[in-house]
Amino acid sequence: MKKKYLLFLILSIFILISADAQQAIMQFNNFFGKEDFVFKKEYTTAFGEKLSFVTLNYFISNIKLIKKNGSEYIIPQDSSYFLMKQADPSSKNIVLKNIPKGKYKSISFTIGVDSVRNTMPVEKRTGCLDVGAAARGMYWVWNSGYIFFKLEGKTVNEVDSLRKNFQYHIGGYGGYDTKTINNIKTKTLDIPVTKITKKKNPVININVDIAKFFDNITPVKIAEHRSVMWGDFSVKIADNYVNIFNIGEVVYQHE
Amino acid sequence: MIAVMLIAAIISSFSVNRFAPKPMQILIPSNFPKPTYNLQSNPVTEEGFALGRKLFYDGILSRDGTISCGSCHQQASAFIHGGHDLSHGVDDQLGRRNALPIFNALFKKTFFWDGGVPSLDFVPVNPIENPVEMDEKLDHVIKKLNASAAYKILFKKAFDVDEITSKELLHALAQFMGAMISSNSKYDKYVRKEGIELNTDELAGLNLFKQKCSECHATDLFTDGSYRNNGITNDFNSDKGREEITLNPSDRGKFKVPSLRNVEYTSPYMHDGGFETLEEVLEHYNSGIKESITLDPLLKQNKSPGIPLTKNEQQQIIAFLKTLTDTAFLHDQRFSEQH
Repeated sequence: MKKKYLLFLILSIFILISADAQQAIMQFNNFFGKEDFVFKKEYTTAFGEKLSFVTLNYFISNIKLIKKNGSEYIIPQDSSYFLMKQADPSSKNIVLKNIPKGKYKSISFTIGVDSVRNTMPVEKRTGCLDVGAAARGMYWVWNSGYIFFKLEGKTVNEVDSLRKNFQYHIGGYGGYDTKTINNIKTKTLDIPVTKITKKKNPVININVDIAKFFDNITPVKIAEHRSVMWGDFSVKIADNYVNIFNIGEVVYQHE
Repeated sequence: MIAVMLIAAIISSFSVNRFAPKPMQILIPSNFPKPTYNLQSNPVTEEGFALGRKLFYDGILSRDGTISCGSCHQQASAFIHGGHDLSHGVDDQLGRRNALPIFNALFKKTFFWDGGVPSLDFVPVNPIENPVEMDEKLDHVIKKLNASAAYKILFKKAFDVDEITSKELLHALAQFMGAMISSNSKYDKYVRKEGIELNTDELAGLNLFKQKCSECHATDLFTDGSYRNNGITNDFNSDKGREEITLNPSDRGKFKVPSLRNVEYTSPYMHDGGFETLEEVLEHYNSGIKESITLDPLLKQNKSPGIPLTKNEQQQIIAFLKTLTDTAFLHDQRFSEQH
């Protein structure tokens, strides 16, 4: 609770500083079912597997805001890549700057990194895409490409209390010169019609339910899929996790 | 007029302190295809090249400081790991595949035996982070470089930066590797009509090569850049080759067709480093092909798999292959470790 308060405080200060900007904030809130998602806490999946987590990172990119009249505002590409890291609370708030004034009805984004950016030269890989800095551990060096979604932890085996690691590293942009797995996912979420003006900066909450990562179209039982990286099952996992992003409250931080 | 000269004089007097790395001309050989690497976005300079060379020969890129790029890519062995079928990384760990030569990288479509990396910029990250090679993390290399006063000066000179990032590190290495062009073999001088002739055996070998080898070892880069199963083995459990990248079973056991330039010096041969001599390689194509579903169709055109070659033909092809040796390149001090 304390942590949340602090986060809110930081966020408020931030918004006060930039009071006059016409902007919106996407705030990512990670859950496990009804509980807050935190590292090292024990949860139980729908399949009765007890587990705890040590890593949760995912890329959010190519964000678009769709107006009530259907027209779109595309965030300029070079400033439209974000890496949500559970370990870094500030990364959970994405500030979208200089949004045109208007009434918006939905928001669209990519979970992952588009194929073009995956093959760009190094000078185009700045900020969260820098494989020698922020993107550490989110890039396959032997099979060039970003890891879009990374979830790691341990299962708790009640019988012998052995803790065993599991890891899901999901990526795949479709291949450079040969068609390969494409796990780039685009998500469009409807929001209650939201005004964005200089005086009205909305915070769009996006709730991400990690319990549904396992309990979705394809049931993911850790005992059967303890390590999923570059392989066919990654497609099933990406098809699952595209459904775990849902719209939460939209609130105005400034009147 | 005087005013212009005055302004010019003022500008030039300031230029001492201005960031002005010396451009280094990269000559594209007339018998080569166009570079695949975009030199406009990373123009080679004397300073960038020298920095790339220093990094190439520096163990700072590895976890424990013991392995540099030059450890496994030795100039005397045409930038492969001479005498090693598989290369040793930190803690003496063995790699899974034979190190590939790195010259003429500007012209390659993809890198490594399986083509997993499509851009020269990102080639060094693979060995740096491979646990059995340098076992380091790129962000940690950058921290180490930023902690080095000497490197900070060199990066400032080459790229005008106060803080080193992956961009400058990878650009410097790409400049050094990109400038390594091997194009002055006897064959090159013959084919460019620079007053050099091939002898009878070499010419006979060239003709045989054109008939029997050049479909895969195409162009004057001596590779078509494709992935093929050349019948080294039919057991792919330990190494599925290109399939590991594409996940397509039809790519099982396929590996990149390597260039043959300087092949006289790049022993051992094949992705697993299984052959020590060119004689073994030629005999493999004549009689040693192991059949499997993905074996290249070009090796299945005869009653028994392979390319029938008499001993004499094999010798002639080898004589030709030795004309691909670029002695000047192998001894070019610009590419050597500087002491």
